[in-house]
Amino acid sequence: MANRSEYWNPKNETLTRDELRALQHYKLKHLCEWAYAKSAFHRRRWDAAAFHPDLLRTLDDIERIPFMTRAEWMDAQAEAPPFGPLLAVPPDLAVRYHTTSGTTGRTPLRVLDGMKDWEWIAEMWAYGLWGFGLRPGDIVLFAFSYGTFIGFWGAHYACEKIGCLVLSTGSATTESRVKSIIDMGVTTVCSTPTYALRMWQAAAEMGIDLARDSQVNKVIVSGEPAGSIPAVKRQLEAAWGAKVGDTAGMTEIGTIMIFECSHQPGGTHIIEDNFIEETLEHASDRRVPYGERAERVVTSFGRGFIPLIRYRTNDLVVKVPHATCACGRTGDIYEGGIQGRWDDMKLVRGTNVYPRAVESIVRECAAVDEFQILLTREGVVDEISVLIELKPGRADHWTALCERLQVDLADAHEGLRFKVSQAQPNSLPRFELKAKRLVDTRPVAEYSA
Amino acid sequence: MTQDLLGRPLTGTEAQLARIYADLKTMAAREDLPPCAERNVKKALACMWQVMNGLDLAYEQLYELGV
Repeated sequence: MANRSEYWNPKNETLTRDELRALQHYKLKHLCEWAYAKSAFHRRRWDAAAFHPDLLRTLDDIERIPFMTRAEWMDAQAEAPPFGPLLAVPPDLAVRYHTTSGTTGRTPLRVLDGMKDWEWIAEMWAYGLWGFGLRPGDIVLFAFSYGTFIGFWGAHYACEKIGCLVLSTGSATTESRVKSIIDMGVTTVCSTPTYALRMWQAAAEMGIDLARDSQVNKVIVSGEPAGSIPAVKRQLEAAWGAKVGDTAGMTEIGTIMIFECSHQPGGTHIIEDNFIEETLEHASDRRVPYGERAERVVTSFGRGFIPLIRYRTNDLVVKVPHATCACGRTGDIYEGGIQGRWDDMKLVRGTNVYPRAVESIVRECAAVDEFQILLTREGVVDEISVLIELKPGRADHWTALCERLQVDLADAHEGLRFKVSQAQPNSLPRFELKAKRLVDTRPVAEYSA
Repeated sequence: MTQDLLGRPLTGTEAQLARIYADLKTMAAREDLPPCAERNVKKALACMWQVMNGLDLAYEQLYELGV
Protein backbone atom coordinates (compact mmCIF):
# COMPACT_ATOMS: atom_id res chain seq x y z
CA MET A 1 0.00 0.00 0.00
CA ALA A 2 2.75 2.42 0.95
CA ASN A 3 4.23 2.45 -2.53
CA ARG A 4 0.93 3.67 -4.00
CA SER A 5 0.77 6.67 -1.69
CA GLU A 6 1.59 9.96 -3.30
CA TYR A 7 2.73 11.21 0.09
CA TRP A 8 5.62 10.05 2.26
CA ASN A 9 3.50 10.79 5.34
CA PRO A 10 -0.17 10.74 4.29
CA LYS A 11 -1.37 11.52 7.82
CA ASN A 12 0.59 14.69 8.43
CA GLU A 13 0.92 16.00 4.89
CA THR A 14 -2.87 16.33 4.73
CA LEU A 15 -3.65 17.62 8.23
CA THR A 16 -6.11 20.52 8.32
CA ARG A 17 -4.52 23.90 9.00
CA ASP A 18 -6.05 23.91 12.49
CA GLU A 19 -4.59 20.46 13.21
CA LEU A 20 -1.19 21.61 11.93
CA ARG A 21 -1.27 24.61 14.23
CA ALA A 22 -2.22 22.44 17.21
CA LEU A 23 0.64 20.06 16.44
CA GLN A 24 3.10 22.93 16.02
CA HIS A 25 2.01 24.41 19.35
CA TYR A 26 2.54 21.09 21.14
CA LYS A 27 6.02 20.62 19.64
CA LEU A 28 7.02 24.25 20.15
CA LYS A 29 6.22 24.09 23.85
CA HIS A 30 8.16 20.86 24.28
CA LEU A 31 11.14 22.14 22.29
CA CYS A 32 11.29 25.41 24.24
CA GLU A 33 11.09 23.58 27.57
CA TRP A 34 13.96 21.39 26.39
CA ALA A 35 16.03 24.34 25.18
CA TYR A 36 15.42 26.34 28.36
CA ALA A 37 16.40 23.43 30.58
CA LYS A 38 19.43 22.26 28.61
CA SER A 39 20.95 25.10 26.58
CA ALA A 40 22.70 27.90 28.46
CA PHE A 41 22.64 29.95 25.27
CA HIS A 42 18.85 29.97 25.05
CA ARG A 43 18.24 30.28 28.78
CA ARG A 44 20.47 33.33 29.04
CA ARG A 45 18.85 35.10 26.10
CA TRP A 46 15.32 34.24 27.15
CA ASP A 47 15.85 35.31 30.75
CA ALA A 48 17.16 38.64 29.48
CA ALA A 49 14.02 39.03 27.35
CA ALA A 50 11.68 37.90 30.16
CA PHE A 51 10.52 34.94 28.10
CA HIS A 52 9.75 31.56 29.62
CA PRO A 53 8.26 28.48 27.87
CA ASP A 54 5.26 28.65 30.23
CA LEU A 55 4.18 31.74 28.31
CA LEU A 56 3.45 29.66 25.19
CA ARG A 57 -0.30 29.31 25.79
CA THR A 58 -1.20 29.41 22.09
CA LEU A 59 0.83 29.18 18.90
CA ASP A 60 0.57 32.95 18.47
CA ASP A 61 2.65 33.30 21.64
CA ILE A 62 5.64 32.33 19.51
CA GLU A 63 5.98 36.09 19.01
CA ARG A 64 7.10 36.34 22.63
CA ILE A 65 10.27 34.37 21.85
CA PRO A 66 13.31 36.51 21.00
CA PHE A 67 14.76 36.00 17.54
CA MET A 68 17.97 34.02 17.14
CA THR A 69 20.55 35.23 14.63
CA ARG A 70 23.57 33.79 12.91
CA ALA A 71 25.72 36.50 14.48
CA GLU A 72 24.62 35.36 17.95
CA TRP A 73 25.47 31.78 17.01
CA MET A 74 28.95 32.75 15.81
CA ASP A 75 29.55 34.91 18.89
CA ALA A 76 28.51 32.05 21.15
CA GLN A 77 30.91 29.70 19.36
CA ALA A 78 33.72 32.17 19.87
CA GLU A 79 32.85 32.47 23.55
CA ALA A 80 33.77 28.84 24.24
CA PRO A 81 35.12 27.09 21.12
CA PRO A 82 34.39 24.90 19.34
CA PHE A 83 30.64 24.90 20.00
CA GLY A 84 29.97 27.45 22.70
CA PRO A 85 27.01 27.29 25.09
CA LEU A 86 24.52 26.38 22.34
CA LEU A 87 24.70 22.63 22.91
CA ALA A 88 21.82 21.09 24.81
CA VAL A 89 23.57 17.72 24.96
CA PRO A 90 27.14 16.64 25.79
CA PRO A 91 29.12 16.46 22.53
CA ASP A 92 30.13 12.84 23.14
CA LEU A 93 26.58 11.80 22.20
CA ALA A 94 26.98 13.21 18.68
CA VAL A 95 27.42 10.96 15.67
CA ARG A 96 27.81 13.66 13.00
CA TYR A 97 29.76 16.90 12.68
CA HIS A 98 29.12 19.36 9.85
CA THR A 99 30.06 22.93 9.04
CA THR A 100 29.13 25.79 6.80
CA SER A 101 31.09 28.91 5.90
CA GLY A 102 31.24 31.47 8.64
CA THR A 103 29.97 35.02 8.41
CA THR A 104 33.37 36.44 9.31
CA GLY A 105 36.86 35.05 8.96
CA ARG A 106 37.98 31.46 8.96
CA THR A 107 35.78 30.03 11.68
CA PRO A 108 32.95 27.93 10.26
CA LEU A 109 29.51 27.57 11.79
CA ARG A 110 29.60 24.14 13.43
CA VAL A 111 26.77 21.70 14.10
CA LEU A 112 26.46 18.33 15.83
CA ASP A 113 23.77 15.70 15.48
CA GLY A 114 22.80 12.70 17.58
CA MET A 115 21.46 9.41 16.23
CA LYS A 116 17.79 10.34 16.06
CA ASP A 117 18.65 13.80 14.68
CA TRP A 118 20.61 12.23 11.87
CA GLU A 119 17.74 9.87 11.04
CA TRP A 120 15.39 12.86 11.11
CA ILE A 121 17.59 14.71 8.63
CA ALA A 122 17.15 11.85 6.18
CA GLU A 123 13.44 11.69 7.04
CA MET A 124 12.88 15.30 5.93
CA TRP A 125 14.59 14.56 2.64
CA ALA A 126 12.36 11.51 2.28
CA TYR A 127 9.30 13.81 2.37
CA GLY A 128 10.73 15.73 -0.56
CA LEU A 129 12.21 12.92 -2.61
CA TRP A 130 9.11 10.72 -2.30
CA GLY A 131 6.93 13.73 -3.02
CA PHE A 132 8.78 14.34 -6.27
CA GLY A 133 8.35 10.73 -7.33
CA LEU A 134 11.36 8.73 -6.13
CA ARG A 135 10.45 5.13 -5.43
CA PRO A 136 12.19 1.85 -4.55
CA GLY A 137 14.13 0.76 -7.59
CA ASP A 138 15.20 4.22 -8.67
CA ILE A 139 18.93 4.49 -9.32
CA VAL A 140 20.19 7.78 -7.88
CA LEU A 141 23.52 9.44 -8.61
CA PHE A 142 24.80 12.07 -6.19
CA ALA A 143 27.12 14.62 -7.76
CA PHE A 144 28.31 15.85 -4.40
CA SER A 145 31.68 16.06 -2.66
CA TYR A 146 30.69 14.33 0.65
CA GLY A 147 32.80 16.63 2.83
CA THR A 148 31.89 18.36 6.07
CA PHE A 149 29.43 20.57 4.14
CA ILE A 150 26.05 18.98 4.82
CA GLY A 151 24.74 19.36 1.25
CA PHE A 152 23.16 16.14 0.02
CA TRP A 153 24.22 13.90 2.92
CA GLY A 154 20.65 13.63 4.19
CA ALA A 155 19.32 12.98 0.70
CA HIS A 156 21.79 10.12 0.30
CA TYR A 157 20.45 8.37 3.40
CA ALA A 158 16.86 9.20 2.47
CA CYS A 159 17.36 7.38 -0.83
CA GLU A 160 18.70 4.33 1.02
CA LYS A 161 15.67 4.50 3.32
CA ILE A 162 13.28 4.69 0.36
CA GLY A 163 14.97 1.70 -1.23
CA CYS A 164 16.83 3.29 -4.11
CA LEU A 165 20.21 2.19 -5.40
CA VAL A 166 22.62 5.01 -4.48
CA LEU A 167 25.70 5.97 -6.51
CA SER A 168 27.93 8.26 -4.42
CA THR A 169 30.39 9.93 -6.77
CA GLY A 170 32.32 12.01 -4.27
CA SER A 171 35.67 12.37 -5.96
CA ALA A 172 34.67 11.52 -9.53
CA THR A 173 35.28 13.87 -12.44
CA THR A 174 32.35 15.31 -14.33
CA GLU A 175 33.10 13.04 -17.28
CA SER A 176 33.20 10.00 -15.03
CA ARG A 177 29.83 10.95 -13.57
CA VAL A 178 28.32 11.29 -17.02
CA LYS A 179 29.68 7.85 -17.91
CA SER A 180 28.17 6.35 -14.74
CA ILE A 181 24.79 7.91 -15.58
CA ILE A 182 24.80 6.08 -18.91
CA ASP A 183 26.46 2.82 -17.85
CA MET A 184 24.40 2.29 -14.68
CA GLY A 185 21.03 3.33 -16.07
CA VAL A 186 20.70 6.15 -13.54
CA THR A 187 17.10 7.43 -13.23
CA THR A 188 17.64 10.33 -10.82
CA VAL A 189 20.45 12.84 -10.39
CA CYS A 190 20.97 15.06 -7.35
CA SER A 191 23.17 18.16 -7.72
CA THR A 192 23.16 21.92 -7.67
CA PRO A 193 21.38 23.48 -10.68
CA THR A 194 24.66 24.88 -11.90
CA TYR A 195 26.37 21.52 -11.79
CA ALA A 196 23.44 19.84 -13.54
CA LEU A 197 24.04 22.23 -16.43
CA ARG A 198 27.77 21.54 -16.26
CA MET A 199 27.18 17.78 -16.52
CA TRP A 200 24.92 18.33 -19.52
CA GLN A 201 27.62 20.48 -21.14
CA ALA A 202 30.32 17.88 -20.44
CA ALA A 203 28.09 15.13 -21.82
CA ALA A 204 27.60 17.07 -25.05
CA GLU A 205 31.39 17.42 -25.37
CA MET A 206 31.59 13.63 -24.98
CA GLY A 207 29.05 13.15 -27.78
CA ILE A 208 26.28 12.19 -25.35
CA ASP A 209 22.79 13.68 -25.46
CA LEU A 210 21.51 13.11 -21.93
CA ALA A 211 17.89 13.68 -22.94
CA ARG A 212 18.20 10.98 -25.60
CA ASP A 213 20.86 8.62 -24.30
CA SER A 214 20.22 8.47 -20.55
CA GLN A 215 17.36 7.03 -18.49
CA VAL A 216 17.28 10.01 -16.14
CA ASN A 217 13.70 11.17 -15.59
CA LYS A 218 14.19 13.24 -12.41
CA VAL A 219 16.82 15.82 -11.48
CA ILE A 220 16.67 16.97 -7.85
CA VAL A 221 18.43 20.26 -7.28
CA SER A 222 19.39 22.15 -4.15
CA GLY A 223 21.90 24.69 -2.88
CA GLU A 224 21.05 27.57 -5.23
CA PRO A 225 17.87 29.54 -6.03
CA ALA A 226 18.10 28.62 -9.70
CA GLY A 227 16.07 25.43 -9.29
CA SER A 228 12.88 27.47 -9.13
CA ILE A 229 13.79 30.09 -11.72
CA PRO A 230 11.53 29.22 -14.68
CA ALA A 231 14.12 29.95 -17.37
CA VAL A 232 16.76 27.80 -15.69
CA LYS A 233 14.27 25.03 -14.98
CA ARG A 234 13.13 24.98 -18.61
CA GLN A 235 16.74 24.83 -19.76
CA LEU A 236 17.55 21.99 -17.38
CA GLU A 237 14.42 20.01 -18.23
CA ALA A 238 15.12 20.31 -21.94
CA ALA A 239 18.79 19.41 -21.50
CA TRP A 240 18.11 16.31 -19.43
CA GLY A 241 14.72 15.31 -20.85
CA ALA A 242 13.66 15.01 -17.20
CA LYS A 243 11.54 16.73 -14.59
CA VAL A 244 13.52 19.08 -12.36
CA GLY A 245 12.49 19.38 -8.71
CA ASP A 246 13.68 22.14 -6.41
CA THR A 247 14.52 21.70 -2.72
CA ALA A 248 16.12 23.99 -0.15
CA GLY A 249 17.63 23.53 3.26
CA MET A 250 20.33 24.96 5.47
CA THR A 251 23.15 23.64 7.63
CA GLU A 252 21.60 25.30 10.67
CA ILE A 253 18.72 22.81 10.50
CA GLY A 254 20.71 20.04 8.80
CA THR A 255 18.21 19.20 6.10
CA ILE A 256 15.55 20.55 3.77
CA MET A 257 12.47 22.36 5.01
CA ILE A 258 10.80 22.82 1.62
CA PHE A 259 10.42 20.73 -1.52
CA GLU A 260 8.74 20.83 -4.88
CA CYS A 261 6.18 18.05 -5.32
CA SER A 262 5.59 16.13 -8.54
CA HIS A 263 2.76 18.52 -9.48
CA GLN A 264 5.41 21.24 -9.89
CA PRO A 265 3.25 24.16 -8.72
CA GLY A 266 5.98 26.74 -9.30
CA GLY A 267 7.03 26.62 -5.68
CA THR A 268 8.03 24.47 -2.78
CA HIS A 269 5.84 23.02 -0.02
CA ILE A 270 6.86 23.70 3.58
CA ILE A 271 7.15 20.57 5.76
CA GLU A 272 4.97 22.15 8.40
CA ASP A 273 4.63 19.24 10.79
CA ASN A 274 8.38 19.58 11.41
CA PHE A 275 8.97 23.30 11.00
CA ILE A 276 7.31 26.58 11.79
CA GLU A 277 8.09 28.98 8.96
CA GLU A 278 7.14 32.54 9.87
CA THR A 279 7.23 35.15 7.12
CA LEU A 280 8.09 38.56 8.53
CA GLU A 281 9.01 41.94 7.21
CA HIS A 282 12.78 42.05 6.93
CA ALA A 283 14.47 43.56 9.99
CA SER A 284 11.20 43.89 11.89
CA ASP A 285 8.73 41.52 13.51
CA ARG A 286 5.67 42.44 11.44
CA ARG A 287 3.92 39.45 9.92
CA VAL A 288 3.63 39.64 6.15
CA PRO A 289 0.44 38.43 4.42
CA TYR A 290 0.38 35.80 1.68
CA GLY A 291 1.86 36.96 -1.60
CA GLU A 292 4.28 39.57 -0.26
CA ARG A 293 8.05 39.44 -0.12
CA ALA A 294 9.25 38.48 3.32
CA GLU A 295 12.13 37.11 5.36
CA ARG A 296 11.65 33.54 6.50
CA VAL A 297 12.13 32.88 10.21
CA VAL A 298 12.42 29.19 11.03
CA THR A 299 11.81 27.03 14.06
CA SER A 300 12.94 23.44 13.60
CA PHE A 301 11.53 20.52 15.58
CA GLY A 302 14.26 18.10 14.53
CA ARG A 303 17.71 18.72 15.93
CA GLY A 304 17.63 18.73 19.72
CA PHE A 305 21.41 19.05 20.00
CA ILE A 306 21.32 22.71 18.97
CA PRO A 307 17.70 23.87 19.22
CA LEU A 308 16.88 26.31 16.44
CA ILE A 309 14.02 28.54 17.52
CA ARG A 310 12.85 31.68 15.68
CA TYR A 311 16.04 31.83 13.63
CA ARG A 312 16.25 34.78 11.24
CA THR A 313 17.48 33.33 7.98
CA ASN A 314 17.76 36.43 5.76
CA ASP A 315 16.21 34.28 3.01
CA LEU A 316 13.80 36.15 0.77
CA VAL A 317 10.52 34.30 0.19
CA VAL A 318 6.93 34.81 -0.93
CA LYS A 319 4.48 32.50 0.86
CA VAL A 320 1.25 31.48 -0.86
CA PRO A 321 -1.55 29.16 0.34
CA HIS A 322 -1.23 25.40 -0.03
CA ALA A 323 -4.30 25.35 -2.30
CA THR A 324 -2.12 26.92 -4.99
CA CYS A 325 -1.05 23.33 -5.66
CA ALA A 326 -3.48 20.56 -6.58
CA CYS A 327 -1.51 17.78 -4.87
CA GLY A 328 -3.60 17.83 -1.68
CA ARG A 329 -0.77 18.64 0.69
CA THR A 330 -1.76 21.23 3.27
CA GLY A 331 1.71 22.63 3.80
CA ASP A 332 1.89 26.19 2.44
CA ILE A 333 4.15 27.03 -0.46
CA TYR A 334 7.07 29.34 -1.08
CA GLU A 335 6.38 30.63 -4.56
CA GLY A 336 9.60 30.33 -6.54
CA GLY A 337 11.36 28.58 -3.63
CA ILE A 338 14.02 30.68 -1.93
CA GLN A 339 14.12 33.74 -4.17
CA GLY A 340 17.24 35.40 -2.81
CA ARG A 341 18.84 37.02 0.21
CA TRP A 342 18.17 40.10 2.27
CA ASP A 343 21.82 40.33 3.35
CA ASP A 344 25.09 40.35 1.43
CA MET A 345 25.64 36.58 1.44
CA LYS A 346 26.26 35.11 -2.01
CA LEU A 347 25.80 31.56 -3.18
CA VAL A 348 28.55 30.22 -5.42
CA ARG A 349 28.12 26.66 -6.65
CA GLY A 350 26.05 25.88 -3.56
CA THR A 351 28.49 27.38 -1.06
CA ASN A 352 27.71 30.41 1.14
CA VAL A 353 30.16 33.27 0.68
CA TYR A 354 30.12 36.30 2.96
CA PRO A 355 32.23 39.22 1.65
CA ARG A 356 33.26 40.00 5.24
CA ALA A 357 34.74 36.53 5.65
CA VAL A 358 36.74 36.84 2.42
CA GLU A 359 37.97 40.27 3.45
CA SER A 360 39.17 39.10 6.84
CA ILE A 361 41.30 36.40 5.19
CA VAL A 362 42.67 38.70 2.48
CA ARG A 363 43.53 41.38 5.03
CA GLU A 364 45.70 38.94 6.97
CA CYS A 365 48.23 39.38 4.15
CA ALA A 366 50.21 42.51 4.92
CA ALA A 367 51.31 42.90 1.29
CA VAL A 368 47.74 43.49 0.07
CA ASP A 369 46.92 47.09 -0.72
CA GLU A 370 43.42 46.75 -2.21
CA PHE A 371 41.25 43.90 -3.43
CA GLN A 372 38.00 43.10 -5.21
CA ILE A 373 35.76 40.01 -5.21
CA LEU A 374 34.33 39.26 -8.63
CA LEU A 375 31.45 36.84 -9.29
CA THR A 376 30.98 35.79 -12.91
CA ARG A 377 29.22 33.15 -14.91
CA GLU A 378 31.50 31.33 -17.30
CA GLY A 379 29.37 29.22 -19.62
CA VAL A 380 26.98 27.61 -17.17
CA VAL A 381 29.23 27.68 -14.11
CA ASP A 382 29.55 30.40 -11.48
CA GLU A 383 33.11 31.47 -10.71
CA ILE A 384 34.54 33.53 -7.87
CA SER A 385 37.73 35.53 -8.30
CA VAL A 386 39.71 37.72 -5.97
CA LEU A 387 41.76 40.48 -7.59
CA ILE A 388 44.67 41.67 -5.48
CA GLU A 389 46.62 44.90 -5.68
CA LEU A 390 49.95 44.64 -3.88
CA LYS A 391 51.52 47.44 -1.94
CA PRO A 392 54.42 49.17 -3.73
CA GLY A 393 57.63 47.16 -3.54
CA ARG A 394 55.89 43.90 -2.60
CA ALA A 395 55.75 42.28 -6.05
CA ASP A 396 58.21 39.58 -5.01
CA HIS A 397 55.63 38.36 -2.45
CA TRP A 398 53.07 37.51 -5.13
CA THR A 399 53.66 33.82 -5.79
CA ALA A 400 53.61 32.80 -2.12
CA LEU A 401 50.72 35.11 -1.32
CA CYS A 402 48.62 33.82 -4.21
CA GLU A 403 49.14 30.19 -3.20
CA ARG A 404 48.37 30.95 0.44
CA LEU A 405 45.16 32.82 -0.38
CA GLN A 406 43.90 30.05 -2.65
CA VAL A 407 44.37 27.51 0.13
CA ASP A 408 43.00 29.67 2.95
CA LEU A 409 39.94 30.85 1.02
CA ALA A 410 39.10 27.29 -0.05
CA ASP A 411 39.59 25.98 3.49
CA ALA A 412 37.15 28.55 4.85
CA HIS A 413 34.54 27.76 2.17
CA GLU A 414 34.12 23.97 2.05
CA GLY A 415 36.79 23.63 -0.63
CA LEU A 416 35.26 26.16 -3.02
CA ARG A 417 37.84 27.07 -5.69
CA PHE A 418 38.77 30.78 -5.74
CA LYS A 419 40.70 32.25 -8.66
CA VAL A 420 43.26 34.65 -7.23
CA SER A 421 44.93 37.05 -9.62
CA GLN A 422 47.04 40.19 -9.47
CA ALA A 423 45.61 43.57 -10.46
CA GLN A 424 47.65 46.46 -11.81
CA PRO A 425 48.65 49.13 -9.29
CA ASN A 426 45.82 51.64 -8.67
CA SER A 427 43.45 49.81 -11.00
CA LEU A 428 40.89 48.84 -8.35
CA PRO A 429 38.39 51.34 -6.96
CA ARG A 430 39.08 53.03 -3.64
CA PHE A 431 36.35 53.88 -1.16
CA GLU A 432 36.08 56.68 1.33
CA LEU A 433 32.85 55.59 2.99
CA LYS A 434 30.96 52.30 2.63
CA ALA A 435 33.20 50.08 0.57
CA LYS A 436 31.72 47.86 -2.13
CA ARG A 437 34.41 45.36 -2.92
CA LEU A 438 32.12 42.70 -4.34
CA VAL A 439 31.04 42.84 -7.96
CA ASP A 440 28.46 40.30 -9.09
CA THR A 441 28.06 40.20 -12.87
CA ARG A 442 25.95 37.05 -12.97
CA PRO A 443 22.56 37.33 -14.69
CA VAL A 444 19.81 38.43 -12.34
CA ALA A 445 17.23 35.76 -11.46
CA GLU A 446 13.81 36.19 -13.06
CA TYR A 447 11.01 34.49 -11.17
CA SER A 448 8.10 35.26 -13.46
CA ALA A 449 7.52 32.44 -15.94
CA MET B 1 -1.47 5.30 25.48
CA THR B 2 -4.79 5.60 23.66
CA GLN B 3 -4.58 8.97 21.90
CA ASP B 4 -2.17 10.74 19.57
CA LEU B 5 -0.70 14.18 20.24
CA LEU B 6 -3.82 15.82 18.78
CA GLY B 7 -6.14 13.83 21.03
CA ARG B 8 -7.40 11.46 18.35
CA PRO B 9 -7.84 7.78 19.25
CA LEU B 10 -5.04 5.48 18.08
CA THR B 11 -5.71 2.98 15.34
CA GLY B 12 -4.77 -0.61 15.98
CA THR B 13 -1.64 -0.20 13.88
CA GLU B 14 -0.63 2.97 15.71
CA ALA B 15 -1.09 1.27 19.08
CA GLN B 16 1.12 -1.58 17.90
CA LEU B 17 3.81 0.84 16.70
CA ALA B 18 3.68 2.68 20.03
CA ARG B 19 4.25 -0.60 21.88
CA ILE B 20 7.29 -1.40 19.73
CA TYR B 21 8.69 2.07 20.47
CA ALA B 22 8.16 1.61 24.19
CA ASP B 23 9.88 -1.79 24.06
CA LEU B 24 12.85 -0.31 22.19
CA LYS B 25 13.19 2.45 24.81
CA THR B 26 13.19 -0.18 27.54
CA MET B 27 15.86 -2.18 25.74
CA ALA B 28 17.94 0.95 24.99
CA ALA B 29 18.04 1.76 28.72
CA ARG B 30 19.56 -1.60 29.61
CA GLU B 31 23.26 -1.78 30.35
CA ASP B 32 23.73 -5.52 30.06
CA LEU B 33 23.38 -5.89 26.30
CA PRO B 34 26.33 -6.93 24.14
CA PRO B 35 27.55 -4.22 21.75
CA CYS B 36 25.90 -5.87 18.75
CA ALA B 37 22.53 -5.65 20.49
CA GLU B 38 22.95 -2.33 22.27
CA ARG B 39 24.06 -0.34 19.25
CA ASN B 40 21.51 -1.86 16.89
CA VAL B 41 18.69 -1.31 19.39
CA LYS B 42 19.69 2.35 19.61
CA LYS B 43 19.81 2.57 15.82
CA ALA B 44 16.37 0.98 15.60
CA LEU B 45 15.05 3.37 18.24
CA ALA B 46 16.38 6.35 16.27
CA CYS B 47 14.40 5.07 13.27
CA MET B 48 11.31 4.31 15.35
CA TRP B 49 11.36 7.87 16.71
CA GLN B 50 10.69 9.01 13.14
CA VAL B 51 7.55 6.86 13.06
CA MET B 52 6.31 8.25 16.37
CA ASN B 53 7.07 11.82 15.32
CA GLY B 54 5.63 11.31 11.84
CA LEU B 55 2.36 9.82 13.06
CA ASP B 56 2.00 12.30 15.96
CA LEU B 57 2.31 9.54 18.53
CA ALA B 58 5.17 11.07 20.53
CA TYR B 59 7.56 13.99 20.41
CA GLU B 60 10.42 13.82 22.89
CA GLN B 61 14.21 13.79 23.10
CA LEU B 62 16.11 10.53 23.47
CA TYR B 63 19.62 11.69 24.32
CA GLU B 64 19.42 10.27 27.83
CA LEU B 65 19.20 6.87 26.16
CA GLY B 66 22.19 7.72 23.98
CA VAL B 67 20.00 8.12 20.89
